[in-house]
Amino acid sequence: MAEVTLEKLHKRYGDETAVESLDFTVHDGETLGVVGPSGCGKTTTLRMIAGFETPTDGVVRFDSEDVTHVPPEKRNVGLVFQSYALFNNMSVLANVAFGLKMEGVGKEERRERAQELLDMLGIGDLGDRSPESLSGGQQQRVGLARALAIEPDILLLDEPMTGLDAKLKTRLRTEMSNLLEELGVTALYVTHDQEEAMAMCDRIAVLNDGHIEQIGTPDTVYEQPANTFVANFIGTSNVLRGKANGDSVDLGFTRVQDERLEAVNGEATLIARPEAFDVDDDGFEAQVRDVHYLGERIQATAELPDGTDLTLKFDSFDRQVSADDVVSLALDLDDVHVVD
Amino acid sequence: MSSQTHETETFTAVATALIRPETEQERERRRIVVMCLPFFVLATFAAFIPLVVMARMSVSADQFENSGFSMEAWYTLATESVYLTVAWNTLWFATLATVASVIFGVGISHALEKYEFPFKGFVVSMISFPIALPGIVVAFMIIVLLGRQGLLTHTVAFFTGGSPLDIAVATTVFGLFCGYVYSLIPRSTMVLRGTYTEVNTDAEEAARALGAGSLRTFYHVTLPEIRPGVVAAFILTFRSALAIFGTVLVLQSLNVATLRIDREIAVGFNSQIAGAIGLIYFAFILAFTFVSLRFTETDVVEI
Repeated sequence: MAEVTLEKLHKRYGDETAVESLDFTVHDGETLGVVGPSGCGKTTTLRMIAGFETPTDGVVRFDSEDVTHVPPEKRNVGLVFQSYALFNNMSVLANVAFGLKMEGVGKEERRERAQELLDMLGIGDLGDRSPESLSGGQQQRVGLARALAIEPDILLLDEPMTGLDAKLKTRLRTEMSNLLEELGVTALYVTHDQEEAMAMCDRIAVLNDGHIEQIGTPDTVYEQPANTFVANFIGTSNVLRGKANGDSVDLGFTRVQDERLEAVNGEATLIARPEAFDVDDDGFEAQVRDVHYLGERIQATAELPDGTDLTLKFDSFDRQVSADDVVSLALDLDDVHVVD
Repeated sequence: MSSQTHETETFTAVATALIRPETEQERERRRIVVMCLPFFVLATFAAFIPLVVMARMSVSADQFENSGFSMEAWYTLATESVYLTVAWNTLWFATLATVASVIFGVGISHALEKYEFPFKGFVVSMISFPIALPGIVVAFMIIVLLGRQGLLTHTVAFFTGGSPLDIAVATTVFGLFCGYVYSLIPRSTMVLRGTYTEVNTDAEEAARALGAGSLRTFYHVTLPEIRPGVVAAFILTFRSALAIFGTVLVLQSLNVATLRIDREIAVGFNSQIAGAIGLIYFAFILAFTFVSLRFTETDVVEI
């Protein structure tokens, strides 16, 4: 496995900038999630690492080696696609053994190694089958086994769970996460599903318009978003603004006091997750507009007297809130993040 | 109830459903019939009836009208070496020209469908252009280029010091081959371009990431995917090659079936033999198409 570094990576298509000055490192054995909205440059970044796109500027390094202009077949990169991209003219075993065949590994050895990987992924009995006869989850396991067979320097996963149903997705991401950790694979995991990225990745890079908004561990990105974009993209947020004065800020519906506000000059932006609000008799009033039951939790939208909407989440067993209720809310400052 | 009565009732029910359909399935059947019927009416008059007439002609005892019965023409075809030579020439030459055209077609389609480059529209127009050219014009172009007064002939003669008479190849088998391939490339390319749009690009990229270079990726991944298209291109191009007439009529470098049919009618109006060759030609094309289509399905290969 290798450490993969992107240095000031740019990609432009004519006047369109797809990726702008990307600088980050995927550490040896780490799984880095790349998340962002459609068209933010996630897949372009992955394709530049794989060698299918030539950067307009910048450098891609595997360890210290500059691979920016090395062709894809010489990079030793494993690719897992959303579309599975299996070779339908080959059996499952032949798919997994394909990379080893290209490396010149003998027939018996490549069969053994391919079978080992299939066993490891729990599909050892499917070796003779055609990929087209498998379910989506099985096909994605074959795709993963095929990419891992060559012991890649980096494993690139491009939205591998997108086509799968919710239950299978949850199971497969646990299996995949455990496997990557067990094998110590360096991996770049591209997804638009923030929950998936948080569950599977050691760190997350949030991309927007071709540049990184924030890179950090899942809990840092969630609890201390760098800006309102990250706050809104990762999970649900209430962005509250007010004029800071010393260690306090007047948000209109309530005034809060916190030492973190001392560093803020002028307009203060506070990011409050829906969990930061709770019903409290000494709080501020809001009218519940609608309530959605989400199983373990309920999500409610409440309107403040000035017309601002707040998104709230409560444990459905603890709290009974109904539409049109007027509730008194309190804001837990420990769960609030102050953005510069 | 007798089986004849039952069949009559079934036929009446089907006919009624076609004229006055009540269910969506019946309406769908009627749409299919309405769409396909004009072709079958046309084919009946343009193909099936002439074929029957040709079959009758081939066993006619009289050269100028279909009367009497004689197997003379079929016996002549089976025993005279000139006709076997015609069959052999037709097959090997059409096969060779088809293989070359399909190989060129694969390369062109790959370039057009896989890459973006300037003046692509112009390139597509140039490649598709020969399909609109009459064979006679193609032959004339070959003569203008490779004939005794040909541009290329004189250019080669200028640089090598050779005689244009020795260098000219327009009326040789090679000249004819060039004319055939030029005419056939657009046909193979048209079919193959359609196939290329269906190729799984992700699978090709997966193969490359797994260490396969461009050629090995083409061999292991792309070629199996385009195989039905290659077979379809081969069928269409081969049938077109068999049917080329204008080019071979002008260049006259090889005695093939179309030229022979023309000679049989033009010289001595030997309608029985012309009819027999026509029938064999039709039967061969039909059998060839059915057999070839069996190779369009892909197989799963082992490690």
